Amino acid sequence: MNQVVAVTINTFKETIRDRVLAVIVVFALLMIAGGLWLGSISLGEQGRMMKDFGLVALTVFGLIVAVFVAAGLVHKEVEKRTVFILFSKPVSRTAFIAGKFVGLCGTMAVVIAGMGLFLFVLVWIVAGQASGTLLLAVVMIYVQLLAVMAVTILFSTLGSAILAAVLGICVFVAGQLSHNVLALTRLGKNPLTEVLSWVIYVVIPNLSAVDIKAGAVGEQTLAWAQIGLWVAYLLAYLVVALALAAVIFRRKEF
Amino acid sequence: MTLATALSVRGLHKTVHVGFRRRPVEILKGVDLAVEPNDVFGLLGPNGAGKTTTVKVALGLMRASSGSVDLGVPGLSHVGYLPENPYFYDYLSGREFLGFCARLFGLDGDARHERVEQLLRDVGLDDAAATHLHKYSKGMLQRIGIAQALVNDPELLLLDEPMTGLDPVGRVEVKRIIEGLHERGKTVMFNSHILGDVHELCTRIAIMRTGRVVWQGSVDEALAESATLEDFFMKVVTA
Repeated sequence: MNQVVAVTINTFKETIRDRVLAVIVVFALLMIAGGLWLGSISLGEQGRMMKDFGLVALTVFGLIVAVFVAAGLVHKEVEKRTVFILFSKPVSRTAFIAGKFVGLCGTMAVVIAGMGLFLFVLVWIVAGQASGTLLLAVVMIYVQLLAVMAVTILFSTLGSAILAAVLGICVFVAGQLSHNVLALTRLGKNPLTEVLSWVIYVVIPNLSAVDIKAGAVGEQTLAWAQIGLWVAYLLAYLVVALALAAVIFRRKEF
Repeated sequence: MTLATALSVRGLHKTVHVGFRRRPVEILKGVDLAVEPNDVFGLLGPNGAGKTTTVKVALGLMRASSGSVDLGVPGLSHVGYLPENPYFYDYLSGREFLGFCARLFGLDGDARHERVEQLLRDVGLDDAAATHLHKYSKGMLQRIGIAQALVNDPELLLLDEPMTGLDPVGRVEVKRIIEGLHERGKTVMFNSHILGDVHELCTRIAIMRTGRVVWQGSVDEALAESATLEDFFMKVVTA
């Protein structure tokens, strides 16, 4: 447990002190603030436009940070040979993967919370009020990104950092669409495409199930019990992805 | 802790597979090595002889294809290691880095703080403790590297080329640290190409060539056969 805590703290310091991260976050905040201009040209829907655009910007920039940082976390340690220092001490590969992930979770929590609060304040200023559902939508984006980070770390133990980042983004996109694709192929009555889309639906995390952006902007009623179950599913999914990453990483030699 | 044998390597083989066709390359071809407690042991050999691989297998960074390694201590809790040309986390200060290493060994609170400050003083980096590691000179990095290897007060210390790239002052400082460890009863094994340092520091040496230990014994035994350690080394590796 000490080892996980040590790697977690170190990963948090590593990622939070990264200047590239600060640049991306500043850019993301500017994009979210850009929603003010979009709102000003929408007739009477300024608050809604602000929420809609802000949540999308938060998702996109959160995704960029999540996949690119997650993809490089393990690789950097191997390339810069700091693994020699780590694994010549009583640190298990599993503790290393767990610590890396939890440390990144901390950094992402700071990044997403910062962007989310900024959006919340802007919506409050524009619309005169902002509901807690907006903050919950931000939390759900965070949950989706956790699953994508875990999958990206898994990919990074199999191949290059760039490939892992690209695959991480693909998983995010597929995770938003897989249930729609499954529903469409069921309408088509083609057994092969139905089986294929079912396999994709099962293998890829169903991220859209916890996407409550539409509810946050008032377009959809939210079923909280169901969302809670999907959150539990995503958390179980990321544990499995990290366990697989640890198994693969245990086989590596340095 | 008193060790029966600080490090024992028997019949160690290591084969790696390289290239697209996974061509097997045998790096270690049956290494036998015995390091006794309180030895300052020099592992010598030309580049590619298998010195670093032997150490990496001993530490579990690589797996043996066959043969065995006995560290003489349970797990890695009593072992310290300094890799060759070490790279550390440049976003951390010297103090933070040693604190991180101490935490990996389960040192908490005051014990961790005291250990880190003690090590910073021991390696002469207390003035640079708050400086980020990317601002450290090569000599300072080597000293912080030795400090991280000592964080758990190890019985066995494995140093890979600890003097390489250091200026004369840095080399003297590292040598003093090794001598100090020997005086405190610790076992030190280091790889080196600098035979003058080996002569000065080591009690026993082993010479490796193409994946095998071709000679091991005391420095005095080597000097009984040749006028200098350089002559003896050349005789053994070119035989």
